[in-house]
Amino acid sequence: MAVQVSFDDLKVGDEIPVRSKVVKREAVKAYADASGDQNPIHQDESFAKMVGLPGIIAHGMFTMAHLSSTLTSWLGDPAALRAIDVQFRAVVEMDETIEAGGKIADLDPETRTAKLDVWVRLERAGVTEYPIKNSTAEVRLG
Amino acid sequence: MPLNTQLIGKTYDEIEFTVERDRVNQFADAIGEQDPVFRDPEAARAAGYPDQVAPPTFITVIQLMTSGQVVLDQDLGLDYSRVVHGEQSYRYERPLVVGDSIKATPRLASIEAKKSNEFLTIEAEVHDAKTGELVVTARSTLISRGTGGAKWPSR
Repeated sequence: MAVQVSFDDLKVGDEIPVRSKVVKREAVKAYADASGDQNPIHQDESFAKMVGLPGIIAHGMFTMAHLSSTLTSWLGDPAALRAIDVQFRAVVEMDETIEAGGKIADLDPETRTAKLDVWVRLERAGVTEYPIKNSTAEVRLG
Repeated sequence: MPLNTQLIGKTYDEIEFTVERDRVNQFADAIGEQDPVFRDPEAARAAGYPDQVAPPTFITVIQLMTSGQVVLDQDLGLDYSRVVHGEQSYRYERPLVVGDSIKATPRLASIEAKKSNEFLTIEAEVHDAKTGELVVTARSTLISRGTGGAKWPSR
């Protein structure tokens, strides 16, 4: 599989296809086992509440994995993803729908590298929250 | 109680890790990754890789062993129940593939107090254990809630 995005087709301000996903408790449990991060805030409702959280929350890295998957699926080749730099700014609760997206922020024709502003957002009680914001990715294209 | 800032700059034990197919499959399942390059060695070879590719955030698996040493350092005084993940960055030289042996040495790069919280940044360069080449540079910032000077609310 080759890179399916051409540098020459990109313009600053272009958005990549948004991908959404419903966060299920079983998937977060599977992520705890796969990653090795068994912090009970991701599995135990009463523990999560005891430490001041609204309930079980997804791992930040679980949410970041959805963002990186959105990027590599757009790119068509994982080697084109050069860097990803995220800030975790809001929790993700079980059964919420997260949406990952990105927008071209800067283009360097010399290295055929694009910088993107990237995010993960969700709607909660009529308000848009950003579990990942003020974040960037760098991709190198053919 | 504030964290022990005397530990800034400390390096921890080098860890070694082999990227195994079962673990990559388990990780790809957990994140719902469907792209064949991350699931199927033949598809990955057709795309020019030596074997099945690990998803970009798979590197978090070794961070439990790198950052884990810092978090559990008794001299640091960190209470893990107060910790949340604040920031994460990865810079890739190439994707990890099944069969890679990698090694990494974590370093406590900084501890900064901001309001009532403290921010710990841990860096690790991940190298190919056979060739020594740099594969990924990882930087994690953990937030220790309520240890930065202002009183931690009683509960």
